[in-house]
Amino acid sequence: MEGVAQLRRQLVDYLTSLFQEGFLDNQFTQLQQLQDESNPDFVVEVVNLFFEDSERLLNELTKALDQPSVDFKKVDSHVHQLKGSSSSIGAQRVQNVCIAFRNYCEEHNIEGCLNCLQQVKQEYSLVKNKLETLFKLEQQLLAAGGSVP
Amino acid sequence: MKEMEDRIPSSASAESSPTPVPPMGSNLTSVFKRITRRLASFRKSNLSPRGQRSPRVDVEQEEFQYASTTCLSSYYSVFVARLTIMVMLAILIGMLTILTWHFTKDYTTKSINSLAYDLRYELLQRPILRMWNILNATVEITTAQVKLSEYVIRRYDNPINQAQQVELYQVMKDVTWALFASRKALNAITINYKNGFVQAFHRDHSSNNTFYIYSDLVNYSISGTHDAYVMSSRGDWNDESIHGNLSAIWYRQPLDPITGERIGKPRPIPPDELINIAGPSQVPDGTASWHVSVSKFTDSPLLSAALPIWDASNENIVAVVGVTTAFYSVSQLMKELVEFHSGHIYLTSPEGYLLATSTNTPLLMNTTSGRKLMMAIDSEDPVIRQGAQWLQRVYGNKFPPDHEVHVENARLGHKQYYIDSFFLNLKRLPMFGVIIMPRSYIMGKVDERAFKTLVILISASVCILVVGCVCIFILTNGVSKEMKLRAELINQLDARRRAEASSNYKSQFLANMSHELRTPMAAVIGLLDILICDDGLNNEQFATVTQIRKCSTALLRLLNNILDLSKVESGKLVLEETEFDLGRELEGLVDMFTVQCINRNVETVLDLSDDMPKLVVGDSARVVQIFANLISNSIKFTTSGHIILRGWCETSITSDDGEKKSLERKDSRSTIKARLKQHGNQAKRACKKENKVTLWFEVDDTGCGIDPSKWETVFESFEQADPSTTRTHGGTGLGLCIVRTLVNKMGGAIKVVPKNGPGTLMRLYLLLRMPVDGAGQHCQTEFAENNLAVLLALNGRVGRLIMSQWLQKIGVFTWEASEWNELTLILQELFHAKKSKPGFDVHSSQNVVQRAKPNAKDMKNWFFVIVVDLGLLDLSTEIWKEQLNFLDKYSEKAKFAWILDHDTSNAIKMELQGRGHQLLINKPLYKAKMIQILEAVIKERNHELHKRSPNAPRTVTDGNLHECLEIDPIHFDAASSDESDMSEIASLSSVMGLQFEEKHKERITNPHPDGRVKDCLIEFTQIQTRVRKCEKEEQGEQILTTSCAKDEDCSCSGKVENEKKSLQGLRILLAEDTPVLQRVATIMLEKMGATVVAVGDGVQAVDALKCMPNADDSRRKSPSPYDLILMDCQMPKMDGYEATKAIRKSESGTGLHIPIVALTAHAMSSDEAKCLEVGMDAYLTKPIDSKLMVATILQLTKRMS
Repeated sequence: MEGVAQLRRQLVDYLTSLFQEGFLDNQFTQLQQLQDESNPDFVVEVVNLFFEDSERLLNELTKALDQPSVDFKKVDSHVHQLKGSSSSIGAQRVQNVCIAFRNYCEEHNIEGCLNCLQQVKQEYSLVKNKLETLFKLEQQLLAAGGSVP
Repeated sequence: MKEMEDRIPSSASAESSPTPVPPMGSNLTSVFKRITRRLASFRKSNLSPRGQRSPRVDVEQEEFQYASTTCLSSYYSVFVARLTIMVMLAILIGMLTILTWHFTKDYTTKSINSLAYDLRYELLQRPILRMWNILNATVEITTAQVKLSEYVIRRYDNPINQAQQVELYQVMKDVTWALFASRKALNAITINYKNGFVQAFHRDHSSNNTFYIYSDLVNYSISGTHDAYVMSSRGDWNDESIHGNLSAIWYRQPLDPITGERIGKPRPIPPDELINIAGPSQVPDGTASWHVSVSKFTDSPLLSAALPIWDASNENIVAVVGVTTAFYSVSQLMKELVEFHSGHIYLTSPEGYLLATSTNTPLLMNTTSGRKLMMAIDSEDPVIRQGAQWLQRVYGNKFPPDHEVHVENARLGHKQYYIDSFFLNLKRLPMFGVIIMPRSYIMGKVDERAFKTLVILISASVCILVVGCVCIFILTNGVSKEMKLRAELINQLDARRRAEASSNYKSQFLANMSHELRTPMAAVIGLLDILICDDGLNNEQFATVTQIRKCSTALLRLLNNILDLSKVESGKLVLEETEFDLGRELEGLVDMFTVQCINRNVETVLDLSDDMPKLVVGDSARVVQIFANLISNSIKFTTSGHIILRGWCETSITSDDGEKKSLERKDSRSTIKARLKQHGNQAKRACKKENKVTLWFEVDDTGCGIDPSKWETVFESFEQADPSTTRTHGGTGLGLCIVRTLVNKMGGAIKVVPKNGPGTLMRLYLLLRMPVDGAGQHCQTEFAENNLAVLLALNGRVGRLIMSQWLQKIGVFTWEASEWNELTLILQELFHAKKSKPGFDVHSSQNVVQRAKPNAKDMKNWFFVIVVDLGLLDLSTEIWKEQLNFLDKYSEKAKFAWILDHDTSNAIKMELQGRGHQLLINKPLYKAKMIQILEAVIKERNHELHKRSPNAPRTVTDGNLHECLEIDPIHFDAASSDESDMSEIASLSSVMGLQFEEKHKERITNPHPDGRVKDCLIEFTQIQTRVRKCEKEEQGEQILTTSCAKDEDCSCSGKVENEKKSLQGLRILLAEDTPVLQRVATIMLEKMGATVVAVGDGVQAVDALKCMPNADDSRRKSPSPYDLILMDCQMPKMDGYEATKAIRKSESGTGLHIPIVALTAHAMSSDEAKCLEVGMDAYLTKPIDSKLMVATILQLTKRMS
């Protein structure tokens, strides 16, 4: 029980730190709120969806920006999607970069776009790591017999 | 310009160069110089016209300097243009001048030249003809002489004796005389016989004598003739025989020139006196010969012709006849000609010897060897000499083939001459004729005229040029001024465009930012919703969270308002047209600001006249925004005193209601008022048909005031009365600008009007429509007949005064007290002295008379209401309880209404509650609240009366009382929901929070705690969701009914449960491409009990709709497979707009209409407009706020069903 409590505290602390560091925002909380008995793995599911979607989009973006003549419209729509999905799971920092990304896109600034793409990738991998860690912790907690707060 | 003038004189001098410029030219140049100077000064004065004026007006100078610096380049371009035009003009005029000059001069010159040539030719031709005539005549005479002589000699052929010989000579003499006499021009005729005898007639033209010259006959014998023949045959007969025959004696016998009679003795003469006697030497080949000779007796050269006389056999020359003619007559003719025509003519032999001249100078030269012919170049006449020299110099001996020379401009000495030479080709005697005429004789006049013409032309063209330049200068000056103005205008337009662009950027930025701000706000609100639903909160936390929730909503509203602001600025604002209760809105506003003023010793008073229409049609949010801005502005600058919001209807001014003249309003303002009124009246007249009403408002404060010079500018954007304002008070200076924009938009006007005393008085009027049904007119409850009397014990002086005046007006008697001691005094006097002596009042003498009567009556009929400000009690210590105890003594006789502060502690409220004071009212006290108090009091009294009466011993007092009390909060709620969009002020959130808290606390005073929480929740949901009120109220009622019996927790969970399954049975099609969002939305909706079908793009969505109706006949029951579609706007393949269009297209004709809700990440209202345009029914922004979504869905599906 001691371990469970510790794990639980660890999880809460970790989650709090994620919020504090701005990786996640309230939307994530809402997601968690939506998770219930009928959808026990809702958050993980959605976040995995997010991962898949984001990876696809990031690939597309990388490809699109690699072209000699960049189709900014396409890039813009990709970024828009990425922004939408990241905001839906509350990946705030990804979302923020996406906003900047879109601005560069509107300016047709390839330099800025490439920069942003790097940032987005970085932020994405960061948040991915964080979320995976979070889920790992949750699983550990569940395995230890605790309940996710 | 300067170059121009430099150019003119130079060109003028260049053009007039052919002839030396007379003094006139120097005159011209001096004139030019003067003009140049004048123009230069003129230009200078033109350059800085403002500069000269500037000492008077500094601002203008600055402007000019600004303009001059900015327009320097344009000035240069103008200068260059001006210069170019002038140069072109100069060139044009110069060319015209030259052309005119050319045509006038050249043509005349040519024609005159040809005339002159003819003249010269003619002139020369005549002496030549004469010469020709002379020659011919000479030849004729000679021939005639020869023929005659031949005849005579043949007659006397071979004379035998002396007598015959003499006879022959005599006959010859006679014949010769006849011929000689017939020709006056002849100089001499000589006959030289072979035997040496000579006969000659000689005419001396100078002395007009005629001589007969003959040799001595003695020496000539007949034999001699034989000898002569011999000699002749031997060819030994030469001239020597004449001159050398010294033995011969020559005689000269003068003759009568006419008759030929001898008039003198023949005298022997020496041989040198002899004239030229032609000898056989002159006819060497036996033919006629010519030569020019010189004689001693004449000055002119002579033309001698000689012909031999042949004997009958034509073999021997018997004699030689010589005829000499002087050129004298030719010279004479020439002289005559020259006299008439001037000039010089001379004839020369081919060798250059002068034959005849038109002058009197000698033609012969005296040399040691006698007289000789003179060369033309040696002539004594200078002109002839020079002419000959010139010819020789130019041509030398190589004359043109025909020997004709025509020179027009030979310069001899200092004059110019025409020189023409003609060649007279006579056999044996070719001759040259030369005529030298001074040019001035022929061309003199022409040249003079030409020069005059030139001068006139040049001066005329210069004048035209100068005038033209001046004109151009003046013209271009005007143009350049205009250009400068235009340049400034363009600059300003440019600046404006830039400003507009930046303003656009700003709006864009705001819009974007607000979008980005909304997202976190939505999250905050969502989280709060979740938190509120959390079971683990205690009451306190619940209250806090609810408050936070309210603040967040307010903040969100603020963000929305920022969007609106950019709308206002871009002029796209459209005013709503909805009915609203103006009074209630303003009351809510004042409530709000009172909270803000609480710690500032500022009293906020609402003073609306009774004739204000209750309901008006307009944009309530904007109206409230106007006043919110004005009041918050006033509060900002008012540290102590009061802020009054007055309002009255147009009619109340025209009827000049005395009440409106109350307090600070002074007559001094009437002028401005009148002006404003005029506006108002005009507007009123114009709008009377539309059932519009002009509402006047004043916001009066006692703050620092605005400098009169800034009264106009404070309404400008970013304009603040004092630049230090931002430092001390903050703010952007946008508030009043927005106010004015809105007021103008509502057909009104706003002005700062002067007021007495410190502070600012803003007056404005609005044109608002009255509701069509005419309902909502001020319905005034008559309190007068209820025998009410009110004791106002209030802190705020102005509020109290206004309230008491109003109460008196509606027939309620009032007393006023401003502090505790005063209150006690009045109370004591009122209730203790009432019995003893009828009414008196120390403080309000005005009311004494009025009150005297009622007080005199039985006090049982009078019902006293004592309105006490809690602030009058000494709350810092425990004395307030004592004071309450004191007041409790009167609770039997009067009803107490307590005016609470917003921060009044619960303990006090509980205490008051405990003492049975049910009428607890929050500050500020305005009419509506007063009316409520009075109504509550009347009701209670009625109940009490009922209760006292044995017929109705019911104890419904409390319940009824609560009802009464609840009017206020509910009323407020309605107001707050109406004003949901109104506030611009950040403080609103806190105010709302406070309001909520206040309400909350008020509820605490309720005897039913359950009901309190329950009500609270209902209201909460009402405010929170902000959907159609009716629906929510319905929902609220539902909750109310379901959770009525439950305790607090149950009601909460029940509500959540209710909400959770609120979408039960709904079939929803979700079109969303982002898998994450799709999943989230699906779960959200499913949690609410809805059935969700998710598709990835617009095409699928359209397909999903299409295929379903064919699948089964269930559509009979429900016309569409889905109750609602949630449509993402940005999707691949087919975006939401397109999909919606397609769906609506397929629906057309079927009468179906499936609700479509747009999901978009754009927060701009334009997107909303776009969504609605393509046929969507509602609009949700991402991330999805579940509550809002549910509300929207419910609303739409309900409407559909």
